[in-house]
Amino acid sequence: MRIEDYPQLGDVERIAAGFEEIGYICSESIATAVFLAFQLRKPILVEGPPGVGKTELAKTTAELLQAPLIRLQCYEGLDEGKALYEWKYSKQLLYTQVLKEKLGDLLHGAYDLAESVERLHQFGDIFYSEEFLEPRPLLRAMRQERGAVLLIDEVDKSDYEFEALLLEILSDYQVSIPEIGTVSAQSTPMVFLTSNNTRDLSDALKRRCLHLYIPFPSVELEERIVRSRVPEIDERLRRQLVAFVHGLRELDLKKHPAISETIDWARSLLLLHAEQLDEALVRATLNLLLKFEDDIQMTDAEVGRLLHGTGGD
Amino acid sequence: MAAGLLGFIDILRTHHLRISPAESLDAVRAAELLGYANRERLRDGLCTTLAKTADERTTFLRCFDQYFRRELGDFSQTSDEREQQPPNAGGAPGGLSAGSGADVPEALAQAARQDPRIDQLLQSSLMQALLRNDRNLLSLNISQASERAGLQQIRIFTQKGQYSRRILAALGEEQLRAGIVALERSESPALDDLRRYRDILREQVRDFIDGQYLVHAHGRNQQLIEDMLSRTRLSNIEAAYVERAQELVRRMAKKLAARYAPRRRDHRRGQLDMRKTLSRGAAHDGLMFDLRWRRVRRERPQVFAICDVSGSVAPYAKFLLLFLYCLQEVLPRVRSFVFANRLGEVTNLFREYPVEQAIELANHTYGGATDYGAAFQDFANLALDDVRSSATVIILGDARNNHGEPRLDLLQKIYRRANRVIWLNPESRNSWKTGDSEMLRYLSACHFSAECNNLRQLERVIEQVLKNAR
Repeated sequence: MRIEDYPQLGDVERIAAGFEEIGYICSESIATAVFLAFQLRKPILVEGPPGVGKTELAKTTAELLQAPLIRLQCYEGLDEGKALYEWKYSKQLLYTQVLKEKLGDLLHGAYDLAESVERLHQFGDIFYSEEFLEPRPLLRAMRQERGAVLLIDEVDKSDYEFEALLLEILSDYQVSIPEIGTVSAQSTPMVFLTSNNTRDLSDALKRRCLHLYIPFPSVELEERIVRSRVPEIDERLRRQLVAFVHGLRELDLKKHPAISETIDWARSLLLLHAEQLDEALVRATLNLLLKFEDDIQMTDAEVGRLLHGTGGD
Repeated sequence: MAAGLLGFIDILRTHHLRISPAESLDAVRAAELLGYANRERLRDGLCTTLAKTADERTTFLRCFDQYFRRELGDFSQTSDEREQQPPNAGGAPGGLSAGSGADVPEALAQAARQDPRIDQLLQSSLMQALLRNDRNLLSLNISQASERAGLQQIRIFTQKGQYSRRILAALGEEQLRAGIVALERSESPALDDLRRYRDILREQVRDFIDGQYLVHAHGRNQQLIEDMLSRTRLSNIEAAYVERAQELVRRMAKKLAARYAPRRRDHRRGQLDMRKTLSRGAAHDGLMFDLRWRRVRRERPQVFAICDVSGSVAPYAKFLLLFLYCLQEVLPRVRSFVFANRLGEVTNLFREYPVEQAIELANHTYGGATDYGAAFQDFANLALDDVRSSATVIILGDARNNHGEPRLDLLQKIYRRANRVIWLNPESRNSWKTGDSEMLRYLSACHFSAECNNLRQLERVIEQVLKNAR
């Protein structure tokens, strides 16, 4: 991607403002990281607890740039055949059959074996050529003319071998295909990798990326996010519910409620025509915020105290 | 400024951040792109290029605050305070607006008009910075001067005075002092003003050195201490250093875990997978040229740790257990047993409590006088049936059985079942055959034995375990 083609990413403020217009409220550190990634042409490795908008960041960037988003979901066992490229085997087979039939015509009039082989060498060898190449997400991202946003989601779920495969792409934006040679990116894609930290990624991978850690947002930021996503909600209720969620995050829970859960909760409170939080309402809707029975039970005892801290009753 | 940044990276390295030259280059470019004006932004940007894990991030933020405290003009607050309470020397009549804007105090301006030397002094970049209260410029001057004075080399706090003099000299404080002398001689009313600026300058330099001392010397001293700790007998590590030693263990474990990270898949090692091969072949006219293989399932390494927790050996057991449990990524199936006169399994303790606490609890429950025979008997009852041919059994103890029955037969049973039996003895090899030590007898039923009394030896042994367990 040529820097001058994308004035949206020209400086940090413009990125933050652009994101906000699309409805993605981000902290300044996120905007800074996107800015640097774009300017330095480096991939960003995004880490953070689930549900803080890691994947969303890539989607939003694609929207802001109006570039195609190419997504590769990682899992154990993902290999180059699914991530990078594959040969179209059945077409290759058909090709050899066609070739066999045509062979007589082609070699017609050849004096001896040596001449036949000579003639054979004269046709281009298209068995292993781009025509029979089936590009998978990584290669597709390399081939986009105006650049693309490449999202390699949950890279920590993939195998070590796959990580090694990524190294070439991430550092030089090129792919080596043994039969063809090296395919360089037409235009450097913007690459996001996300990780939930189920395992440590290799140093080599980390070295090639900028590292962005997205924590749970501050109260102020989260209120802005809720306002942007659920604009109909009353300001007082919004303040209360964000404060309550922040209170929950202080507790020792198995899984803390993420931003997406705050938003879901805000939406459902809106549907219930709630005007302010009270204990009964919170208890009734707690399962929207917490996904484990243990967590719900533990929080149940704390609801009153937490509500008290939010300025409710 | 790039030099300052490189210095900062150097410091991060002393705090165990691994930063490659390529990453330093990224950081320099990031700093160029972001500029030095917005401190928060610079911090965020550098953080993305230099810190690659959550731990490193915390370290980075701490170091950043220490290192760039002075350099980036983030001391507007301190300057405000200073203006509210003028220093003693500034007891001159009010109305001196030194802090606000570029205007020179009236008395000084007058002195400058009378004395060309004072005028010259006021024109110098140092004085300009002081007069305009331009703390960015001043801190830039100070950091450049400190570079010339070699402040990065500071190691011990007694060097502070020496460096302070060198930096002041490099800043051209001499001219300022000469100015003061001249004013003293002429008994000018501007004397107090000029003195006040000198004091501000000195204070700034002193603060700067204090900060740099923390940053530069602290990291290096830390490394020294750790190096020492890893060579000290574990039982001799003072209580005050235990925490740091544990931190060190954690780091060692992390390094080993990265090196021996499990490979999840083993390609093409098993039998031909007919079902998959056939279905693959269907697309190619039933030709089975694309062979699929069953994957070999590898058993996860099984580790049994049997630790003596009687008084003399307890500190070693603590570290061994801590080490093993820090390796959970690589060795997920560690079962631990502790004994003195009786043996009990403490695996669950480690599941329920944080490692340090679990170790204390285990110590508390099973401490006492050692009886190896009874301990092996208990182990045989509890877990002998679970010891598989792939298991590694680590025994940590001094083998001093208080002349009791050693029950070698039980150890031999374990030896025959397990892949490896490793005996770690904190005593030195020479004393293995002395007194009530049964070590030589037990040795006959061990695959491997090692003297293990400091962290370095412990690390080496555990690496052996990992190599074999894979």
